[in-house]
Amino acid sequence: MTEVATQPEARGRILEAACELIAEDGIDDVRIARVAMRAGASTALVHHYFSTREELLAQALLHSFELAGDERFGDEPADERTATRALARMIEECLPASGSRERDWVLWVELWVRAVRDPSLRPVATQLYERYRSWLASGVQAGVDSGEFRPCDPDVVADHAMALLDGFGIRAMLGDPSMDVARARTTIARLLAAVLGVDAKELEW
Amino acid sequence: MSPRPQIEHIRKPQILAAAAEVITERGLAATRISDIAERAGTSASGVLYWFATKDELLAEALTVDEERFNEYVTQRLVSLRSPSAKLLMLFESCVDDYDWSLWIEVWSRALHDDATRAARQRSDDRWRELLASVIRAGQANGEFARTHNPTQVALTFATLIDGLALQVTLRDPLITSGQMLETCIITAERLLEVDLRATAVDAEEKVAERA
Repeated sequence: MTEVATQPEARGRILEAACELIAEDGIDDVRIARVAMRAGASTALVHHYFSTREELLAQALLHSFELAGDERFGDEPADERTATRALARMIEECLPASGSRERDWVLWVELWVRAVRDPSLRPVATQLYERYRSWLASGVQAGVDSGEFRPCDPDVVADHAMALLDGFGIRAMLGDPSMDVARARTTIARLLAAVLGVDAKELEW
Repeated sequence: MSPRPQIEHIRKPQILAAAAEVITERGLAATRISDIAERAGTSASGVLYWFATKDELLAEALTVDEERFNEYVTQRLVSLRSPSAKLLMLFESCVDDYDWSLWIEVWSRALHDDATRAARQRSDDRWRELLASVIRAGQANGEFARTHNPTQVALTFATLIDGLALQVTLRDPLITSGQMLETCIITAERLLEVDLRATAVDAEEKVAERA
């Protein structure tokens, strides 16, 4: 009881530990005991917050995406000179380029796998995709409004961009020799530049 | 000489077919070796004789599944003459005839397991080569523009299809599978400078007239 009372942030720490272990070992190999150890909590405390392992894993994915979503899909970058540069930065933020983003990517893939089979996780994936999509669409809309982009349906362009980001991103994550992050960046910029009618160099971060 | 290898040799393809089915239905995490054994009509030890782990089974099941898909599309390719019609057919096969859940399972395991990663790479290389061969044929007979390198265009198509398939799988499949095909066609038309549907219909009609 004291453990619960003195550690109001314990739930967050447990979720954070679960996310780390999912990213390191894959979701199937995550055990409650190891999550507890990583979080510096007892297994009893983990069970206090999460009645089953499945619930813990689902909540951990949700927690990670809420954080990533708030951080990433909040506002369009306001400090860029042009809508084109702002979109270039948005694209960059979606690629698995650095440590923390790589972790987000591993969790993102785990969510795909779970959502395919688990109806309770499907809405989490759908919501996140919708958020991702409207964030990108708003970046496209800004460029159409400023006259930088050719008139287009921002939602359609956003779907197209997401497909390219996910498809190239997973290849880069898997170490596909034909596609590292730098090449993914250049290729996506070129393909979207053709859709939007801008210079590909301007769309490359 | 033990008689076992001979019997087991017959069972390996059945085990792999059963593994692909069960993993597709339940996911790798919820699949037990005994479930696969039961589906294949053998014992757990019969499965473990060939495959030490579920990851090994997944990697080989993917290969078998891909071979089946390859055989199926290759047969359909033979019946078509025009590269535009062939490319359209390849896009349609991915949208309509392919179960992406096994492939998504492979992505997830490939992040943590080298054998699965290698199996994914082999399948992907083969699929991209199939796309590239159709693109090359279209560039050779003048249906497609030669602006872009066929290997690069094939990589773009394969990547786009993966990303779109994910959206179809995770969102509303009814709404998005039509859009998936449209996006593939629009991208092909832009990169290869061809009206894909019209060219496919024209070319196949000409072939029919000549016959």
